[in-house]
Amino acid sequence: MSAIILNKVVKTYGAVQVVHGIDLEIEEGEFVVLLGPSGCGKTTTLRMVAGLEDVSGGELSIGGKIVNDVAPKDRGVAMVFQNYALYPHMTVRQNMEFALRPMKLGKTEVANRIAATAGILGLGDLLERRPAQLSGGQRQRVAMGRAMVRTPEVFLFDEPLSNLDAKLRTQVRWEIGKLHQRLGTTVLYVTHDQVEAMTLADKIVIMRDGHVEQVGTPEDVYAAPKSTFVATFIGSPSMNMIAARVISGCLQADALSVPIPERFADRVSEGQAVTLGVRPIEIKRVGADTPGAMKARVEVTEYLGNEALLDLRVGQHELVAEVPADQRAEPGETVHVCLNTTAVHLFDTESGLTLAE
Amino acid sequence: MNKPSTQQTILIYIALTIVLIVFMTPIYLIASSSVKPSPIMFQKPPAFLFSPTFEHYKDLFGMRPFGKFILNSLIVALGSTAFSLTIGSLAAYAISRIRHKRMNDVAFWILSMRMFPPIAVVVPYYIIFKTAGLLDTPLALIIVYSTANIPLTVWLMKGFFDEVPTALEEAAAVDGYGLIETFLRVTLPLAAPGLAVSAVFCFIFSWNEFLFALMLTGSEAQTATVAVMSFWSSDAVQWGRIMAGSFIILIPGVIFVLTCQRWLVRGLTMGSVK
Ligand SMILES: Nc1ncnc2c1ncn2[C@@H]1O[C@H](COP(=O)(O)OP(=O)(O)O)[C@@H](O)[C@H]1O
Ligand SMILES: [Mg+2]
Repeated sequence: MSAIILNKVVKTYGAVQVVHGIDLEIEEGEFVVLLGPSGCGKTTTLRMVAGLEDVSGGELSIGGKIVNDVAPKDRGVAMVFQNYALYPHMTVRQNMEFALRPMKLGKTEVANRIAATAGILGLGDLLERRPAQLSGGQRQRVAMGRAMVRTPEVFLFDEPLSNLDAKLRTQVRWEIGKLHQRLGTTVLYVTHDQVEAMTLADKIVIMRDGHVEQVGTPEDVYAAPKSTFVATFIGSPSMNMIAARVISGCLQADALSVPIPERFADRVSEGQAVTLGVRPIEIKRVGADTPGAMKARVEVTEYLGNEALLDLRVGQHELVAEVPADQRAEPGETVHVCLNTTAVHLFDTESGLTLAE
Repeated sequence: MNKPSTQQTILIYIALTIVLIVFMTPIYLIASSSVKPSPIMFQKPPAFLFSPTFEHYKDLFGMRPFGKFILNSLIVALGSTAFSLTIGSLAAYAISRIRHKRMNDVAFWILSMRMFPPIAVVVPYYIIFKTAGLLDTPLALIIVYSTANIPLTVWLMKGFFDEVPTALEEAAAVDGYGLIETFLRVTLPLAAPGLAVSAVFCFIFSWNEFLFALMLTGSEAQTATVAVMSFWSSDAVQWGRIMAGSFIILIPGVIFVLTCQRWLVRGLTMGSVK
């Protein structure tokens, strides 16, 4: 049975619709990430699941029960807020006790749960402190602890890492992943950071302007983006997008000319405006005499240790290539590159949708 | 913060001394006059050294049931404070949380209750309470004082509730708490400094109020402030007793404020942390 089902869920504020009929099924134990740029309606969707916002239209069910009109307290969900929302007048222990109180557990059970949660999250020494006496990372942990201690059926996270510094973010991200493996609880997780989504999710839901753009595993959305939006959003650095036209069996874009990959051959028509997508890693440096080699001028080089990013100018086009660090070139140099045509993506320019099957 | 220089420290102390003198002189005069024997009460220059007497206090409690008037004052002040804080904080919470374009008008309308000059409403009150059979009862004063205290509480508490992040209430809602429990266990404790400020203002106003107490009470429900003034009659002003009564009246107010102060100080530091 699915843990959470959204059926054409709509949210309007006054006359403005911000979530336009979302369909989504979340399986029990699944880690689902809502991913999208700021303002696309992720938080609003999550808050509707939590019951903190009314559902303006459609149906929302949790655990097989329609919960449109069920109060948050009766939904059996726990939430980790972006700003943690710890009760400042209570110690860490009291924060967790407070979350457990409505469950009316015995004293020893409460103590056991708090001890267990504190053990998992390393909060043992902090139990008697107040939130004001904790660092950002510790507060984040307490917020997770307060949610975990209830052993809810569903965890909701709203950008839980956005207030942490980069190093801590990586560490806590890893811990959240481990925690999910260990607890197996259903998770709905909101973020605008594609790395978080790719590393944590069983299933990524990419949202744009209140719509679901694509749902799929991290592999799906990376390897087979349904639209230019998904293609550029997933992957870092972003996929290169080149406006081109289908002219006599080739994709023509000014100086650039690429033979149409076989799998697209009968999916395009002569004269069609298309967008060619190439991931930076699929642009390789080659010798000048290689067939299909293009001349490119290096504008900027970013050295990243193992690899380097080259900002290239090929005719009119600016492309980013990711090459092994020892193949990097100095700005101003002219190099030869070649696109791995078997790995290119092709989109219809007008609709922005993929031309792959 | 920078440490003030010696010069600044001296100036601060001089200023504090002046302020203290201004505020403490009346209290000193009341206290000393209340234990001065009547014959030297108005000696010029004032006698600073004299053997204190408690005759005024004896008179005060002996000739008139002053203890009862103090009790009346306490009932009225505590009653009105408790009632105003209860109603006022609930109303303030609603005004703070309900998003409606007319909400400011409601808040202003509540404040406008305080804009009547008391003298203009004292006669209507008299008639209303006479009709209701409430003249000369503490309940009448509790009601009248609350009409002034509730608006004050609403405005003070609204500001404090505005400062409590709604995310905390949402966290409580998800944790399994309903509206009332969330209010009592999360919002109100975090607005406790506001409650303390409101309580101080409500108590002091009710405790000191004179005009309504004079007009709406007789021998039964008379409050201490009115009782003290009754020593001022057309043929004699019994200064000793007035001073003794005044000094006693000061005490509960001071105790109440000191009790509330614990919360006030905490409130200030809490605001600065967040
Ligand atoms: N209370 C509200 N009233 C009106 N509009 C809102 C409200 N909350 C959010 N919105 C709008 O809804 C859209 C989605 O917001 P949100 O869900 O917070 O986006 P995200 O979390 O993806 O950044 C935004 O355009 C935002 O301006
Ligand atoms: Mg958001």
